[in-house]
Amino acid sequence: MGILDTMRKTLRLKSSSSNFKNPTQIPPSTEQSAHKPSWFFGEMETSEWDLLVLSTSIKLLLYPAYRSTDFEVHRNWLAITHTLPISKWYLDTTSEWTLDYPPFFAYFEKVLSIPASFIDPKIVDLTNLNYDSWSAIAYQRTTVIITELVLGAALLRFVRGSVDPPTQRIISASLFLHPGFLIVDHIHFQYNGFMFGILLWSILRARDGNKLASGILFAILLNFKHIYMYFAPAYFVYLLRSFCLSPSGQLQIKNFLSLANAVIAVFVVSLGPFALMGQIPQVFSRLFPFTRGLNHAYWAPNFWALVTATDRIFLRYVTRTGTDIAVNLSGVASTSRGLVGDTVFAVLPNVKPIHTFIITLGFQVVWLVKLWQNPTYKSFLTALTLCGYSSFLFGWHVHEKAVLLVLVPLSLLAGERHAYFRTYLIASVAGVFSLFPLLFTPGESLLKVVYSTLWITFVYTAMRRQVYEFPKSLSYVILDTIEKVYLAGFLPLLAFTNFFPALIRWWMSTAVCIPSSKISCPELASRPTGASLTMEFLPLMLTSVYCAVGLVWGFLRLIFIYLHEETTYQGQLSGLR
Amino acid sequence: MHKRGIKQWVVPGAILASTLVKSGIGLGSYSGQGTPPMFGDYEAQRHWMELTIHLPLRQWYTYDLPYWGLDYPPLTAYVSWLCGIIGAWIEPSWFALGTSRGIETQGSKFFMRSTVTVLDVLVYLPAILMFARTWQGSRSKRTQTIALLTLLFQPALLLIDFGHFQYNSVMLGFALFALNFFATGQDLLGAFFFVLSLGFKQMALYYAPAIGSYLLAKCIYLGPTYGTALFVRLAVITSVTFLLLFLPFLPPFAPISGIFDPITRIFPFARGLFEDKVANFWCASNVLLKWKNWASSSLLVKLSTGLTALGFLPGVVGLLHSGFKHQLSEKAASESHAQNDERLKHAPFLPLLPYALLTSSMSFFLFSFQVHEKTILLPLLPITLLLSGAHVDSSVFSWGALVNNTAVFSMWPLLKRDGLGVQYIATLLLWNRLIGYNPFRNPEKSFVQLLSLAVYSAGIVLHILEFVIAPPSRYPDMYPVLNVLVSTPVFVLTWLWSIKCGIEVAWALGGLGPGSGSVKPVTERRMSVGADGKGSYRQMGGRAVSLGYSESRKRAAYGGSSRASSVVGGEDELTVLPSGRHML
Repeated sequence: MGILDTMRKTLRLKSSSSNFKNPTQIPPSTEQSAHKPSWFFGEMETSEWDLLVLSTSIKLLLYPAYRSTDFEVHRNWLAITHTLPISKWYLDTTSEWTLDYPPFFAYFEKVLSIPASFIDPKIVDLTNLNYDSWSAIAYQRTTVIITELVLGAALLRFVRGSVDPPTQRIISASLFLHPGFLIVDHIHFQYNGFMFGILLWSILRARDGNKLASGILFAILLNFKHIYMYFAPAYFVYLLRSFCLSPSGQLQIKNFLSLANAVIAVFVVSLGPFALMGQIPQVFSRLFPFTRGLNHAYWAPNFWALVTATDRIFLRYVTRTGTDIAVNLSGVASTSRGLVGDTVFAVLPNVKPIHTFIITLGFQVVWLVKLWQNPTYKSFLTALTLCGYSSFLFGWHVHEKAVLLVLVPLSLLAGERHAYFRTYLIASVAGVFSLFPLLFTPGESLLKVVYSTLWITFVYTAMRRQVYEFPKSLSYVILDTIEKVYLAGFLPLLAFTNFFPALIRWWMSTAVCIPSSKISCPELASRPTGASLTMEFLPLMLTSVYCAVGLVWGFLRLIFIYLHEETTYQGQLSGLR
Repeated sequence: MHKRGIKQWVVPGAILASTLVKSGIGLGSYSGQGTPPMFGDYEAQRHWMELTIHLPLRQWYTYDLPYWGLDYPPLTAYVSWLCGIIGAWIEPSWFALGTSRGIETQGSKFFMRSTVTVLDVLVYLPAILMFARTWQGSRSKRTQTIALLTLLFQPALLLIDFGHFQYNSVMLGFALFALNFFATGQDLLGAFFFVLSLGFKQMALYYAPAIGSYLLAKCIYLGPTYGTALFVRLAVITSVTFLLLFLPFLPPFAPISGIFDPITRIFPFARGLFEDKVANFWCASNVLLKWKNWASSSLLVKLSTGLTALGFLPGVVGLLHSGFKHQLSEKAASESHAQNDERLKHAPFLPLLPYALLTSSMSFFLFSFQVHEKTILLPLLPITLLLSGAHVDSSVFSWGALVNNTAVFSMWPLLKRDGLGVQYIATLLLWNRLIGYNPFRNPEKSFVQLLSLAVYSAGIVLHILEFVIAPPSRYPDMYPVLNVLVSTPVFVLTWLWSIKCGIEVAWALGGLGPGSGSVKPVTERRMSVGADGKGSYRQMGGRAVSLGYSESRKRAAYGGSSRASSVVGGEDELTVLPSGRHML
């Protein structure tokens, strides 16, 4: 019956290959034979249907949930692409939420706007700002669920023809049910599932040896959302080395030309119309607004969060002790204000966009060289993850949602061996937790915690069996303990972030009652004044700093693993060229 | 350590997942959201918290009656008081007297939703966990887990409690506790919990005929001496519990007239035969007969009372008859008593109880006065209990799934009004997938499967029509009425089916005629000897009590051979049979 069969099936499949470590001995499995081109609904198994139906019903329940302004952003884009001619798409300023995604996403919105105009013409009315009737909500939420099937299809294909189907099955399921997608797409409102679906298709093509298709898909993805440029260096090096050059280093002219032409063709389809209209500068000014600050309102849990926090501590120290250090006064007020604007440090030297760029690129050179020397699929996957990772950690004005760029490719490596799994676990817990402040309304807060707990419990129990390794040395045990303590620390942090605002309110209850200020909302945060301001921000700062510690540590772990690849057994994907 | 797998996480995971689904449903709107001046059931419950914490107890049942005056029994009032105290401690404005009417802040909504979830976890969840261990005690862990999932995600209850907003799971949880304690032979505890159920919501009266006659049958079964003793004890515990519940409204705490306030509020005979469109006999037949035009209100009251009584009579008679048939001889009873025997605890006719409960509550739903569409939750409990242990190919499974789905469908007009359309789809999808039900795939076509196909097709067509075509202005209620006409036949057939099953089970328990039920198998006693201490339900109580039991007994009676019965019991290693065979 239903779900129990699914579990039994998973267990049986796993036990059948639990000690299967040698990549050359691929057992004949049903998954292998199922690898035939057909419409993916046709080749879905019962357990996969179960997952689809159950997760879809949870997503349906989220229709009335909280929506961020991104909902209105996308509704406005539906209206822009539907009512205006293409020449005005990147010029329109009716709403403050102007179109700032690349053209393919605009075309995508154009396609979505056609059914929308039949369902409710008011959705695509350009002047009907902040329209959120039930029809608009239902329609837009439905499009997220349906377009996410691209991700589901890619993940299914990952299982078929995988080196180790049982493990890949768990990884695929964990990605399809990822709390990041639930929080960011189905509650907050975005289309990440769809676009990560394209990314995974591209990676899948690389795994299956079709590098041309992989490159084309990535070019298409870039024209949907340019944030995926974070991955571009890895793609560039990988495709150049393993597709355009022969192993001996000679240029494969045919391959090179076909790839170059295909990628150029993609960009022509995307940007061509705007080039003809002479709007390329306009489009680019929309895509790359360099007017923002180092940190986002809520600090993304990256390296800069740690630096900013250090600056805060120094400032405290300086003001307490009266040490004679030049303090930048504008920085005193700036950092924790939570406004989108320039972050100015009070004590530490200030950071400019060029600095972040140099640091990111400097890191990337390290593994890009390694990738150049060893252009296998797994090496590519790791380098890709590290590219996303370093951009997230050191980039300029990184949003916390960008953590998905780390977590999604990293998941594909999770089943390799224990070291990867542990890195994945720490990064996933820290990354998902860092997304929690996106949702601050009480009902959704409960939901995000319960869902993420369920998810991590099942991923952990299922994966742990696959990758278990006996502790090898004392340092291993010590490290293991420290990491466990760090992970356990999320529980008190969760309790603190949830109850601290209530405590503060109770503590300052002499003041006038602030309506529903249990919310630790970044958008509302500029409202309170004086001493309560830092108090309001304390949970957010703590979350961001604590998560940043885990993510930076995960980054170092992954670099270490990658650079020591040949020394030890690395996992099953190593067998793929 | 690494060998511990997913299995041990299934039950905690299922519970956590059900919390997820509940809080997901809770994100949606509730009954009466944004509809001043009266709002809806949500406001009623909130208002009771408001008035109980601010007013002296004497005024609870008299304060401003037109605005959602308290009309549930005292336990609801006490629970409301407790919730109100906690809520007002967190945020006084949520329950400020008078000024908080119709409050719709995010915080207050979350608090109210949380009270339902917490009470559900405190009462209903332990009740179904215990159910899986007692009633399904002889079945495999897997069956028990499935039973748990079936009950945890039952769509009708989820939608009404966590979407529409009510506390039915508390009443149902108490009633289920009563059943569980009957199954373990602790009749007094069972009676106590049933009184709590009644004291929380008077709707539990729908179960009263079945539970009352079960307890009476148990007294008869035990013979004159022990039966009378049990009867007296039951009478005492029941009245004492009732007295305690109503104590603050009785002398010396209140004048004697004080008791009439709650009583007249709880039983309002002044209202009409039915209010909204309800999928019961009266509302469905009203389409043709127009009862109010030719029958007076008092006649209708009498008629409905008579029909209801007639409706639950088969269940009552079945239980009492079994009590007589299996009556222990004086000697056997005292012998058992001396050895503290299982026979004293476990009445052989226990498997009849769920069917009797179904007959009784469905009869109330179909024929009684003043029925709400939500009251279908009461008949749903016993049939979902039966369904939860049934094999996917059995007729019980088909009936259970059909009635559950039809019940949710019959509440569609209400859910639509509450703005719970998408939750309606989601919970139905989720539950049917979880229990592995797909009526469109099953190849064998029995009556119930054909009926299911017809009902589902009609339901889907009706939904599509309603979505596409607005009702004609002459018949604004066309869709609710059509809904009633689709749903009612299913409920009537379920009621008839429950009577039929009751007769079959009674027959399988030892024939319908006056039999020699007092002759007991020796093996059964021998087995119970080793079964002392905890964890023994699987061997002892569970055996005679298991819900699969009646099913296998029934088929055994029809198959005429013990061979046939050994096949039934289905997927379980621990089948019911050894003791079953002896009773034939």
